[in-house]
Amino acid sequence: MKSAFFKNVLALANLFMLLLVSIGGAAAQDPVTLTWWTTSGRDSPEPAIRNVIAAFEAEHPNIKVDVSIMAEGAYNDLMSTAIAAGEGVPDLAWYWSNNWLPQALDLTDRLDNDPDISRDIFHTEYFNNWVVWNDMVIALPYDIGANFVMYNKDVFDDEGVAYPTQDWTPQDYIEIAKALRNEDKRRWGGDRPRGPFRALWRNMGATNPYSDDSTTVEGYINGPESVAAYTWLWDLVDSGATPTPADLEVLGTEGTGPVDLFIAGRLGMATLNPGSMVSTLEAGVNFGVVPEPRVPGNENWVHGWALRAGIWKNSEHPDEAWEFLKFWNGPPGQRILMEQGLGHFPPIPSLLAEYEYADTEWYQGFLNVLDATQTASWRKDHPCWRGAVIRGVRDAWDLIMLGEIERDEVQATLDAMVEPGQAALDECVPRLGG
Amino acid sequence: MTPQERRDAKTGYLALSPWMVGFVIFYAFPIIATIYFSFNEWTLAEPPIWVGLDNYARMFTRDPLFVSSLRATTLFVIISLPTKLVLGLMLALLLNLKIPGMNAFRTIFFIPAVISGVAVSLMWIWFLNPDTGVVNTLLSYFGIRGPLWFWDLHWALPSVAIMSIWKVGGAAIIYLAGLQNIPAQLYEAAEIDGASKWGRFWRITLPLLTPTLFFQLIIELIDAFKIFTEAYVITHGGPLKSTYFFLYYFYEEAFRNANMGYASALALFLLVVILSATVFVVRTSKGWVYYEN
Repeated sequence: MKSAFFKNVLALANLFMLLLVSIGGAAAQDPVTLTWWTTSGRDSPEPAIRNVIAAFEAEHPNIKVDVSIMAEGAYNDLMSTAIAAGEGVPDLAWYWSNNWLPQALDLTDRLDNDPDISRDIFHTEYFNNWVVWNDMVIALPYDIGANFVMYNKDVFDDEGVAYPTQDWTPQDYIEIAKALRNEDKRRWGGDRPRGPFRALWRNMGATNPYSDDSTTVEGYINGPESVAAYTWLWDLVDSGATPTPADLEVLGTEGTGPVDLFIAGRLGMATLNPGSMVSTLEAGVNFGVVPEPRVPGNENWVHGWALRAGIWKNSEHPDEAWEFLKFWNGPPGQRILMEQGLGHFPPIPSLLAEYEYADTEWYQGFLNVLDATQTASWRKDHPCWRGAVIRGVRDAWDLIMLGEIERDEVQATLDAMVEPGQAALDECVPRLGG
Repeated sequence: MTPQERRDAKTGYLALSPWMVGFVIFYAFPIIATIYFSFNEWTLAEPPIWVGLDNYARMFTRDPLFVSSLRATTLFVIISLPTKLVLGLMLALLLNLKIPGMNAFRTIFFIPAVISGVAVSLMWIWFLNPDTGVVNTLLSYFGIRGPLWFWDLHWALPSVAIMSIWKVGGAAIIYLAGLQNIPAQLYEAAEIDGASKWGRFWRITLPLLTPTLFFQLIIELIDAFKIFTEAYVITHGGPLKSTYFFLYYFYEEAFRNANMGYASALALFLLVVILSATVFVVRTSKGWVYYEN
């Protein structure tokens, strides 16, 4: 009886061991599943995203990518919540908010020691300004963009005005805008800038709203170069050659520039972006691309940007995530995205040369713009620039836009901005650094 | 407590429990967390740092935007709240008339109340466009040059108030329910006694409608202090901070300036303001709200 009992126990134990071994064997063969949150748009349409994943999974049968494609607003909410909670962050995600960067994995060693990919393949300005943070590589760049001036050649021809050149000046901009203004055709010459201290301000010599060491506003926001730039804005508004903020709100495209007005031929020139370039192309408009105007002798600046894909620092599968990241952000994934999403511009110069319209004049103009120095080179180390200081001195901008001050009041108006600007800076720097 | 009462109490708590759980998770906990974070500096990605009362000190002593936003919000409340209450009541009186097609009118006037704030904002951008908008086009027929509305320093805040008043149909429906609760025999008796229409409104309608007015006042008061969407979608707080409402400032601090601690302090301050205003209304209600029973 006892012997039968032990036999049964032994048999059961054997069965149990077999079961464990088989489970272990199965587990060893199970692919790792990476979670990835992303958004889609015309620069990365959903089918293209899925095609990149399929291509990656075909090359890496042990890795599966569980992608969640969501709207931008939902993405921001979910990501902010997960980052704040410190859990539930996906293995892979866009780290487009600077506030999320401390949660991204440092990729420096992986990038520098991986034979499959090198930082040299990426556009230097975009790489250094968008994925290097506190001397660490915290993501890889993806889908770059920039602001530039697009001009409607048909409008210029219609009004008998010569096209702008690569080395045009801010004064040229005003003169051309006035020449293109045609009230009978309800046409404006050019748009107004969307804020101070972007590329145009820097091209006029007004580089920063405060000192490099983030201590002083006096002499910067109200310095001679800044006064000159704001006075230029005053002249532009006064010329009547530009649509008012109300016109732009209704007839333009909020936030990203008045591409609708431009395509409709009611705006001769507009400061737009690569997405607008594609929309204009699809609308059959004959257009050209030049950098934002610049005072001769000043450095050539561009307001550019790159999305950045990173790995969560607490990911359980950092090695597999890295494999996917370098596929997605490297030539294989970027080529698929560029070929399947016309509005996708990879941060890899050798791929940009393969773009479908690479031979066109406007595309060459766009490539030329990309080589300028980026405003982000200053902004990335000065996080108080936007959220605090520019908001603090916004009144000067509004007063000029509304036509509420005279030309000779610009200096005094900017002088009055020193105190709120300094207060905003003093509050922000201890919190965000800079 | 008898066994039956204990059983009833258990059943009651059981029935309440889903709501209680929801309240604790979605209301009580966030409020307590907000109180805690208001004493911290917190940029989301890094752990909060305790700063004591510094956020409150900044708010009350060295933050001009706090003053601007409070001023804009208070002005908005002063303009929109009484206007909405009066117009809502007037509209309800009209919708209470017995004429053919009244249900259709009621529906039409109620529709704005159920359209999303963003859609309404986008629509009003078109309505009040200085050059091509419906309003200025109509004004131009009478030789009047309309203002720049949302883009005018002096008209931006009234424009937002006009927008909010346009949604008065929601309040009117509540008033209408109140009006229809007033016994018809009171009007009949007053009519027999020779009371004028104004006398009937003043002596019967208004007193008996005060509970509804009271309810509506509190709801509209809270709603007015929480004005946000219009500033977010249309004016971005401008021009010259004329529509820089408190909640918009809170949003900018929290989600654009990564200043969750200070934003929490702002949120708590708004809570206190709304709570105080509500308590004040409730306290004074004993003097002017008439309950039949």
